[in-house]
Formats: sequence, C-alpha cells, structure tokens
Amino acid sequence: MRDIADVALDASVVAGATYADCRVVDQRMQSVLVKNGRVNSVTDFEDTGVGIRVIVDGAWGFCGTQRTDRAGLEDAARFAVRIARASARTAVARVRLAPTPAVTATYVTPVSIDPFDVPLDRKIELLLAVDASMDIPSVTTRQGSLAAVRHHQFFASTEGSRITQTIIETGGGIDATATGDGEVQSRSFPNSFGRQQLTAGWEAVLAMDLAGNGRRIAEEAVALLSADLCPAGTMTLILDATQAALQVHESCGHPTELDRVLGFEAAFAGTSFLMPEMLGSFRYGSEAVTISADATSPGGLGTFGYDDEGVAAQRTLLIDGGLFTGYLTSRETAAGFDQPSGGTVRAESWNRLPIIRMTNINLEPGTSSLEEMIATTERGVYLETNRSWSIDDRRLNFQFGTQAGWEIRDGRRVRLVRNPLYSGRTPEFWNSCDAVAGASEWKMFGVINCGKGEPGQLMHVGHGAAPCRFRNVAVRPA
Amino acid sequence: MSTESRSHDEMLALGDAVLARVPAGTEAEVTVTESAMALTRFANSGIHQNVADRTLRLRLRLVRDGRSGVAEMQVASDDAGDALVKSAEAIRSHSPSGEPVKPISPDGGADTEAGYCERTALVTPEERADTVAAICAGADSLGQKAFGTFETGGTSIAMVSTTGLRRAARHTVAELIAVCRGADGSAYGARHASDVSHIDAVALIAEVTERCARNQGADATEPGTYEVVLSPYAVAEMLQYLGLMGLGGLAVAEHRSFMRFGERLMSESVTISDDVRRPELAPFPFDGEGSTTRPVTIIDHGVCAAVVHDSVTEARSGEPTTGHSLAQPNSEGPFPRYLCMENGSGDDASMVAACTRGLLITRFWYVRPVHPLTTSITGMTRDGTFLIEDGRVVRPVRDLRFTQSIVDSLADVRSIGAERRACRGYFGATLAPWLHLGHFTFSS
Repeated sequence: MRDIADVALDASVVAGATYADCRVVDQRMQSVLVKNGRVNSVTDFEDTGVGIRVIVDGAWGFCGTQRTDRAGLEDAARFAVRIARASARTAVARVRLAPTPAVTATYVTPVSIDPFDVPLDRKIELLLAVDASMDIPSVTTRQGSLAAVRHHQFFASTEGSRITQTIIETGGGIDATATGDGEVQSRSFPNSFGRQQLTAGWEAVLAMDLAGNGRRIAEEAVALLSADLCPAGTMTLILDATQAALQVHESCGHPTELDRVLGFEAAFAGTSFLMPEMLGSFRYGSEAVTISADATSPGGLGTFGYDDEGVAAQRTLLIDGGLFTGYLTSRETAAGFDQPSGGTVRAESWNRLPIIRMTNINLEPGTSSLEEMIATTERGVYLETNRSWSIDDRRLNFQFGTQAGWEIRDGRRVRLVRNPLYSGRTPEFWNSCDAVAGASEWKMFGVINCGKGEPGQLMHVGHGAAPCRFRNVAVRPA
Repeated sequence: MSTESRSHDEMLALGDAVLARVPAGTEAEVTVTESAMALTRFANSGIHQNVADRTLRLRLRLVRDGRSGVAEMQVASDDAGDALVKSAEAIRSHSPSGEPVKPISPDGGADTEAGYCERTALVTPEERADTVAAICAGADSLGQKAFGTFETGGTSIAMVSTTGLRRAARHTVAELIAVCRGADGSAYGARHASDVSHIDAVALIAEVTERCARNQGADATEPGTYEVVLSPYAVAEMLQYLGLMGLGGLAVAEHRSFMRFGERLMSESVTISDDVRRPELAPFPFDGEGSTTRPVTIIDHGVCAAVVHDSVTEARSGEPTTGHSLAQPNSEGPFPRYLCMENGSGDDASMVAACTRGLLITRFWYVRPVHPLTTSITGMTRDGTFLIEDGRVVRPVRDLRFTQSIVDSLADVRSIGAERRACRGYFGATLAPWLHLGHFTFSS
C-alpha cells in the first residue's frame, strides 16, 4: 500500500499538484440474510482501489482507480490534476487548508472476536433460530441479518502523513412484519433499517440478545394490527434511545455540517439554519441538551484514529447545555474560520471524494430515567423505533413516525397505539426537552445509510443516545 | 483516463473468464459491471468538487446441491476470477440446503444500444467546466449564485451463465442540475438524457433564473388542503415512491401493496406504465438476473392492471417475469425501473389558469413513506413554491410539509401536461408530465 501511495503522490506532484493525498483502500464485507425460515442470501464483497485527491492552481481534482500498477496510478494522478485544472477555470476562491501535523500512525478497531473468524454456519444457525422464534400467526415476513466489515486503508499526503487504519464493524438485526385486516405493521430489533452496527467484533452481536427478543417483537407486530390509533394533540413525548439517536442525526448532526452552511450541498443535501454568527449565542436546546461530536467514543461507527484528511480523531461539543458551540469541519472549511479541522472528513470508499461527515454525534447522558420520565408524565406518548423520517433542506421542519407507541396517562403506560407521528421545528423541539436518561440507559447506535454528497455516498455514522422527554409536541396518527 | 466503456466482447470475455473457473457440475451466473463516471460540482457560482472514477465489479452466484453462494469484487487484479470463485464456493458449501434461486435460461430477448451515446461517454473535464461556467455566468448576470452538478458517464453490464445466458448492454447518462439562489429564495431545474447533446444548458439556466427571480421574499401560507400544480420534477418523485411502495410482485405477495387488481383507484386520465422502450430514459434491456425487460401497463386509465415481476415472484404468483429483478437472491423483490405517466394535453400555464386557489410546486424534498397500504408519503416542498389565486400565480410562499396519499391524490386529477421530462429515478429513470391535482394536504 505504501508503494502504491508513493507512486500516486509522486505522479501528482510531477503533473503539477501543489498538494495531494491518496487513500489505498481494501475493504471486505460479509452479509447473511435469512428470511421466512430460509437463507435468502450470503454475500462476500471485496472492494479495492485508490483515491487520489489533488490541489492544482488552488482548485480540487479527484480520480479513483482500481489499477495499482505504476502506469495505471500515474494515469489516474495525471487525470486528477487535469480535472483540478478544469476546476480552476471556474473556481470561486483558491482552496486553503487548515494546518495539521504530519503523522505516522496505525489504528485498529479493538475487537474481542473478529467477526470474520466466526464460522458462517454459526451465523446462519443463529439467524434461523431467531427466525423460528418469530414464526407466529399473522407474522407474514420475518427477516434477520448479520454483517461484518473490515475496512483497511493507508493514507498518505504530500505533507508527510502516513497512516494505516483497520476499522472493523459488526452488525445484526431482526424484523417481524404482521399483516391483516387491511393493516401492515413491523417491529424491529435492536433498530430499524435492517440492523444495528458498531465498530466492534462478534461480541457486539452476542450482546444484542437477538434470540431473546424475536418472539417479543413478533408479538408486538401482531398486537399493533389491532391497536388503537395513536392519539392526536399537543402532548408530552418520550422517545426511546433509538429514535432519539435518529432525531439527533437529522436535527443536530446534519445542520452542524459546515459544508452545508457554506452552500456546498445547496443543490442536493441542502443547507443549514445555523449561521456562523449564531455560534456561541444561539439557544439550540434546553440546558438538558448537550451534544458532542466524538470520534473517540468506543463502538461508534464514527470511531477511528484519523479522518480521511489525516486529522486525528477528537471530541468537540456542538451543543453545550443547550448553547450552539461548534460545527463539524474539514481542513478546507475550518481554514475559512482560522480554526483547526475538527477531523470529520470521510469517504464511503476509494472511489469517492472525502467530505464532511458526522462522526459519533452523541446526546450526552442526563440524570433522569425512562421509568421516571413516564412516572412524571400526566398525558403523552412513549414512542419506539423509527419507521418514517423527513426533514427540510435547512433542517428545521421535521416529521418522524415510529413503529410503536404507548399512550401515557397519569404516569403509566395505558395502551399500545399504532401509526404514531410527531412533528416540530428543530430549536423549539430541543428547547422543549426537559429530561434525558442517565448513563445506564445510554447506548451507542449505528446509522448505516446516511446519504450525502454527489456522486452519492452512504456513510456509517454513530449516535450515542438515551431516552429523552419533550413537552408540548404535535403528535398524531398517520 | 477517459470515461469510454469496454466493448461488449471485452465485457463478456471478463465474464467468461470467471465462468471458466467454476467447478464442473455447478450452476453459475456471472455479472460484470463497469461504470466510468465523472461529476463536476459547483457552489456559489464556482466549481468546488470535481471527480471521476472507473469501477469494475464482478459478481458470481453459484448454485449446487440446493446450496447457493454469492461473491462480489471490485478489483482489477488478474487473479480476481480465482478469488471470486473461491469465495463464492466457500459460502455455498457452508450454506444450508434449500431451494435457492437458480440462474435463468436465455429468453431470446435482444440487447439494444438504445440508451448509449458515445458523445456522452467522451465528455472531458474541460467540457464539463465550460458548461458549468455558462450556468454560473447566467446566474451571476442576474445577481444570483449557481449551485449544482454536471455528471456524464456510462455503465456497461454483461451477464453470462452456465445455463447459456449471454447478455451485454451499456448506457450513458448526462445530467445537469442547477439551483440558483438570490438574496432571499432559490429555484431548481434539471435535465437528464442519454445523449449529452440533448442537455440544453441555456434553456436550463433561463428556466431556473426566471423561477429564482420570482421566488424571492416568500411569506408563509396557511397549511391545509390545496389544489396543486406539480412540475415534472415533483411528479417524478411521487411516481418513484409509488413504485417503491407497491408496484412490485413481492410487495403484492407480502400484502404490502395498495394494488387491487381490476379496481379503479385513480382518475380515468391516469395511465402509468414501465416502458423500457423510451430511449430518453437510457434503458437497459435486461434486469439483474438477465431477463428481458418488457413494457408493463401498471395503471390503465385509473384501473390497477399489473405489477412488475422477477423469476421469484413468477414462481410464487404464476405471473411471468417482466424483467424487473434486482440481482438475485434478494429480499426486496422486483421494482419498476422506467416509470412513465401517459401525457395529456395541458401545460403549466393552462393548469395555473384553471386553478382557483392552489400551490405551484417545483420540487419535493426528503420524501419518505408513512404507510405503504395507504401510499401515504411525507416530504417538503423546495426551491420554488408559489401561491395561485383565481388562475394567477400571486406570490412565492415558504416551503411546506405535506403528508398525502399518492393514490388519493391521483384519484383527483384535473389535468395532465402534454410535455414530459425525463428525471433520474432510484433504479432507472422516470418520464413525468406537469400535473394539476384537485387536492393535496399540507400539515405545516
């Protein structure tokens, strides 16, 4: 990998680059999917290539290639330089990078059990057993999946950094869908969208206890078929940790991406309501709300040693006691504010340009508990597990739906309700937060489908979250 | 490095090389995909990201003794074929015995070049930059700023199998997207074509700057139920979600689809098909398992007529495959790829003139399903939303959130536009007209 990078960097400089970096990536993913008592698919995917990023005449160029021979690498480097020169013809300002120290380092995700060492038949056996536990009347679709990812990367830059990283991810999840009487209802565990995933080894799957939850979610899916519709009105809302994580993702993570603020995503992912003059003074949420960007959180999908610009992983506060205090930044965007990079730049793969991505955007634990929040709620709903999500391009107007809800009356869950939706506006919503559960209920969740950038990139990001409560929220059934 | 693709023979040879390594007595299907794409991205009237890549992907599916294994590789090394077979065989041998989906036999369908244009494959970074410069200059001259992308490139796919399948096709895509922003408002427009010479940048920047000039200083309007005049961009998004939610055979088999065959659920003027014959949609002639993709009339004058199928739903339902499979095996089932709404005789001006009180909507954003059986979706308007009163566009309004059943809205169609526009879809592309709907519900 080192030799490949050296060739690419040398060729870039010879062709005229004033800066170049190179990522040599070798990635493997194994996935197992069981559906309705049968193995639906077992797939092994290997992906190898080189991404070369250059600055020429103050403008960016990027070229991805699978060729790792000298001629192929030189060709790709020259093409990246040619692209950069074309960019320079219509660039607004010369690219300036915030300084970062050159480092030589190695980082490997700490794991107890390498997920690729676990025999395939053991994975299939687990999923088939869980599938059988979900096989009850009215459940028409049962699905379970496991995934293992090994992302091995060598980063090198013309500034002298040489960084080797191996990121290991392991994930799993189950879903039960029940149908009947013109209704369709699903329940998922530990999270929706297929699976929960962490930077961890097979121990993460063992800790999930999929087998212990299959029957429960199947029964809940069936119960939802005949549950009453979610009540409508303005009421107290309590979110489980999984939905809190997605709420953080959409309404705190994305708006704090500085490239959005600068218009880099204006035609696609959107902009942000968070203008730079709001830093340090804007009341984003209540005092109960502290949100960090922490690439050092154990187990998070945004946990690494160095980002894809060679900047060390770090923890920064985006919202501190409700006050807006920081952005997610790159070397380019941070330079405009004379700040060091926050180290949040990543690419989906070798053939995609590294851009600002969430690391682990964590809602820091509070002092309450789910039990206490319910006990001290007169009228409201407790909602679990995302089903539908949408937010505007400035990240203000949102609407979420969840798989299940429970109506709360006088401090008690009184009935299961179906098709719940809630909506709001980001600052008003987070300012209505009056309780966040403590560390014992705080968990790390993985989002494996965060879309951004053009060409599109799906990034794996993390969110630590705990159940939390909001007052005066618009709730209704779908 | 150009974006020109390999020839069909070269692609098939790559597949054959893998097939030759498969152990005797094993059924196998090889898919070779090569994409060579380049994208120039601009913001604040300048290029800020500019990328290109060429990616070769090999996929092997093995079936033997009731066991199946799939391996995929994105590598260019000479020993990729050996590694691919070894990996797929390791998976196959560890999989439990069952009734795996088998590679299909050839169905005699022809491979066409309808979606390929060499001009598009050969566009240079300098040509993309020149087009972007023209877009930016058009915006700047009116005191606006331009944002967007210009993407060009192509994808080639070849499939070979031990069952005699031998298919190869390629397509090209050129897409120019522009958002213009003024001091207090923005507008959107896009052009999508197989042939880059059909991308009219001058017309696009004229459309978007004019819309942007009108969409300044928007005020709020009350949420509620409005008539709407939807641009093809918004209609395409709606059609694509209809396809994702309920137009596939598996969704029907799993009781997740709204389709009630033979029943009229939409206005009589609504006919929706999946039409692989439209060259402007850059179609591939076959699907993910090598079946020939056939035109399917899905909604026929408002009546639920058919959904798309693959070999798995064919076996389950008895309805023949329509050639809309994803790569097999999969858990999602088949999806439409080239949805087309039949055109009418209207245009946006006549629709606005016929509207008593409504909203003119350029684009939807962040659309997500709310309930599959009711086809309820939610999302936001974006980049140009205008209030219509008494047949005239009176002012821009702030973006609104809608939550609306697609089927219900298409049961109240007032008018359909004569012209249609090709828009990129989730699996292919969509051909959509302007649409005047009698009601659409906005919640905030």
